[in-house]
Amino acid sequence: MTAPTAFASVSALVRRETSMVYDEGKEYLVEARLTPLANAKGLDLEQYVARLAFDADERRKVIDALTINETSFFRDHTPYQAFTDAMLPPLLEERALTRRLRIWSAACSSGQEAYSIAMLLDQHLPAGWEYEIVCTDISTQMLARVQAGRYSQVEVNRGLPATSLVRYFTRVGREWEVAERLRERVTVKHMNLAAPFPMLGSFDVIWLRNVLIYFDAETKADILRRMLPMLAVDGFLLLGSSETTLDMPADLAASWRRDQIGRVPAYRRATAMTLSRTGA
Amino acid sequence: MRAMIIDDSRAMRSILRRIVSGLEFETSEAEHGQAALDQMRAGVVPDVCLVDWNMPVMDGYTFITEVRANPEWRDVTLMMVTTESEQRNIVRALAAGAHEYVIKPFTPDAIVEKLSLLGLVPASDQGVPA
Amino acid sequence: MSVLTDEVEAPAEDDVRAVTEDVWLALLGEEEVLLPRQVPSGSPFDATGVWSAAVTVSGGWQGVVTVELQEDAARLLGAGMLDLPAAEVADADVADAVGELVNMVGGNLKSLMPGPSVLSLPAVAAGRAVFASDVVEVCRLDLAWRGGPVRVCVHVPRPGSSNGGSR
Repeated sequence: MTAPTAFASVSALVRRETSMVYDEGKEYLVEARLTPLANAKGLDLEQYVARLAFDADERRKVIDALTINETSFFRDHTPYQAFTDAMLPPLLEERALTRRLRIWSAACSSGQEAYSIAMLLDQHLPAGWEYEIVCTDISTQMLARVQAGRYSQVEVNRGLPATSLVRYFTRVGREWEVAERLRERVTVKHMNLAAPFPMLGSFDVIWLRNVLIYFDAETKADILRRMLPMLAVDGFLLLGSSETTLDMPADLAASWRRDQIGRVPAYRRATAMTLSRTGA
Repeated sequence: MRAMIIDDSRAMRSILRRIVSGLEFETSEAEHGQAALDQMRAGVVPDVCLVDWNMPVMDGYTFITEVRANPEWRDVTLMMVTTESEQRNIVRALAAGAHEYVIKPFTPDAIVEKLSLLGLVPASDQGVPA
Repeated sequence: MSVLTDEVEAPAEDDVRAVTEDVWLALLGEEEVLLPRQVPSGSPFDATGVWSAAVTVSGGWQGVVTVELQEDAARLLGAGMLDLPAAEVADADVADAVGELVNMVGGNLKSLMPGPSVLSLPAVAAGRAVFASDVVEVCRLDLAWRGGPVRVCVHVPRPGSSNGGSR
């Protein structure tokens, strides 16, 4: 970005509205995401940023553009493997009576994570089991995309095994649409992770990957504290590989237990008894 | 790991070569299926073939059928990289023995991620957002 | 999606644009994007020094997809795809790159039309595209890339004519 003041003002805007932090060094990202918006208005970047002060519509677009996570189906691969190999078996055992799983895809972006999980559950849940995947995000535009369940050629090229593409998607024009039987298990809710959580019920697995990295330390700790009661006592929390609960204030760090599953750390509520080992 | 890039476009082979070389694959190239088969019969058997569909002399679909017909080559992983993008064609290629399928145009990430799905590169687990 | 206009089936202009932009973006990155360009309908491709490439689709849908671009743009495209300095790009490199470009645009458009159909190998020429008299233009996109004009056209057999027609 050409002018540091323009970057600073965008960064302050995002922080004010979402608690997300865009430090220096993220200029390239802000520039890449905002340039198309500026071009659409026929403005250069600095003119566009100046306009944000009095244009609420454009401000909303900027928030949307800057809070979108880069994502792909089965991103990083190993967490999904850990999910099917090490988390599902104990959950299937412990939920044998209710035969129902609830998953939260927090900061779901365009939904690839949620539908990746849905594909795995479709393959691995025994007959008669139910599941629900709740997707939340700060961007209503992203939530609409999750509900539509349509992905571009470029998106389905990334990370999605070809066998799953032909099994779970149908070509609709230029896009590929997720099968109805997966879409109907996915519900969406608009929410800001930095604000108090609405009533969502409790979850067996919470996917909170590559999200905390955007928040300052205080907000991060606050989110992890409020996540505790959202997770079933024997549930699993997944963070991005560069994120951890270990650098949190002592009382909070102590309330999360880290279970290493192969290369993937899963976080459990420390108060829960270890009922089954989950070593890979 | 060795990759054979089979595409009639030199420009496309160059793009693919740069991507897989970056993953430290040794590469060989062929401009159609027949040339690729000739190389393999001469002993240049790769771990993975990146195969275009529409090519002169022998197309990629025929090539994967030929490779699958030879039990000596059963360990060779086959990945189509083609502009053919009808669901029907993807199903056909998988049924004929292709392991993966990348639709052109693609970004380099798409190739890397598919190779990683196939267990040919260590999964990138850096998880750093854009 | 396809649209029916006067008895002939053609890809929608939005689809042609999106497919072309996707190909450009994947091949050349986000630095230099394709820009729309206003050209009065019916005007011939006005670049001086042109490369053209075409693929024919035959089967469930019949059509010819053509890409024309100015010499300099074509050379830069070849340089980008082959990762060479533009000065080192030979004519054969340009032809190869432009051929692969139309292969990608044509293949993706084929997948949007009724099938099954077969895609031909690309035919590339230094010079403007020439169209047979038994085909009619159903879609035309005028664009600019790095200052040079780019045109993508779709032709289909003229209603009543007996064959698919090609270059």
